[in-house]
Amino acid sequence: MQESTFNELADLALRTTGQHIPVSKSYLMEARLSSISRRENFATLDDLVHCLKARPNQRFEQEIAAALTSKRTHFFREREQLEFIVSHALPQRLKQSKNGRLRVWCAGVSTGQDAWSLAMRLREEVGSPLASADIEIVGTDISTECVETGTEGTYGHYEVQKGLSIHRLMTNFTRGSSGDWTINKDLRENVQFRRHNLLHPAQDLGSFDLILCTHVISQLAQPAQQDVLTNIARQLLPGGYLYASPTEQIEGILKTIKPSRDMRGAYVRDTAKPDTAAA
Amino acid sequence: MKHCLIVDDSRVVRTVAGRIVKDLSFTVSEAAHGAEALEICRKNMPDAILLDWNMPVMNGLDFLRALRREDRGNDPIVVFCTNENDSEHISEAIRAGANEYIMKPFDAEIVESKFAEVGLV
Repeated sequence: MQESTFNELADLALRTTGQHIPVSKSYLMEARLSSISRRENFATLDDLVHCLKARPNQRFEQEIAAALTSKRTHFFREREQLEFIVSHALPQRLKQSKNGRLRVWCAGVSTGQDAWSLAMRLREEVGSPLASADIEIVGTDISTECVETGTEGTYGHYEVQKGLSIHRLMTNFTRGSSGDWTINKDLRENVQFRRHNLLHPAQDLGSFDLILCTHVISQLAQPAQQDVLTNIARQLLPGGYLYASPTEQIEGILKTIKPSRDMRGAYVRDTAKPDTAAA
Repeated sequence: MKHCLIVDDSRVVRTVAGRIVKDLSFTVSEAAHGAEALEICRKNMPDAILLDWNMPVMNGLDFLRALRREDRGNDPIVVFCTNENDSEHISEAIRAGANEYIMKPFDAEIVESKFAEVGLV
């Protein structure tokens, strides 16, 4: 790949998704764009970029930018965090809820595993107040392909064996004739996936009691981190929690959220700052 | 160090799985079928057993049922590792006392993930 091609693609990723791709990870571009390149019959990424410049196509640019984002995920990825959410954060929000309804947003959910993991874990809360609560889970991603995968809830041999116990697989999935495994219907009622670019305001999604945005912020360039966190925090209800990965440093990026004392990686709205009032 | 017994009639699978399990800080012993595995268990009960299903002499399911009847036979964590990937086989293995189930083909990440599920790593 020529240096100019790398620069064009890195600039496209930065403009469209806020993602920062350093030169040291140029190999990721080759890997993540290989299927699009093959489908469109480009011999090299240089040819693909040359075509984009000659005949600009916004839809194709967005597809390329979405393909450049990381899709790496697996079931029950942040296990400790998930346990805290189910045992403390959601029960606490439920006590404050007037109608027994809670909303959770999995922002930048890739192929949906974080959303389905939460749905599976909630299903195990037999006898707890959460069992009778109406908990809606909304997963969003910039990639149409990822949203389709999450919605379909069908995962391959390798995907269902990473982070998922055999008991959870057998309880929540059905094996198809192709050997893939599909999420059971009873788990789907309160889970939906939508395409959304986190750089854009999210009023359309509504307000949430809990927002999970793990392994996303650390992938972004600094100005985009602030924009994304501003957009997310605006959808957080007062008293709600925002969760990043415990390994991601987001403290100080946005003044209107502050770390929660309850758990590492959890943040709450700073009520003294009115800017993040829920839309 | 924990001890893992790898039971598979394929030498290639035993070698590949052995390398993966050694990287997870286990000592490894091998058996080519269930009867050989049962003899090893009677002498030195392992902490974990990675178990194929279809093998000559004694298959994995018969071995597991026999193992669970042995003195201290409930001690080892048994992880099936097999090409029998349908729900019926998985259910049968769990009923017989399997703790986890790996569907072949597998890689190091899958073995580590499954061992983590049952508290081996």
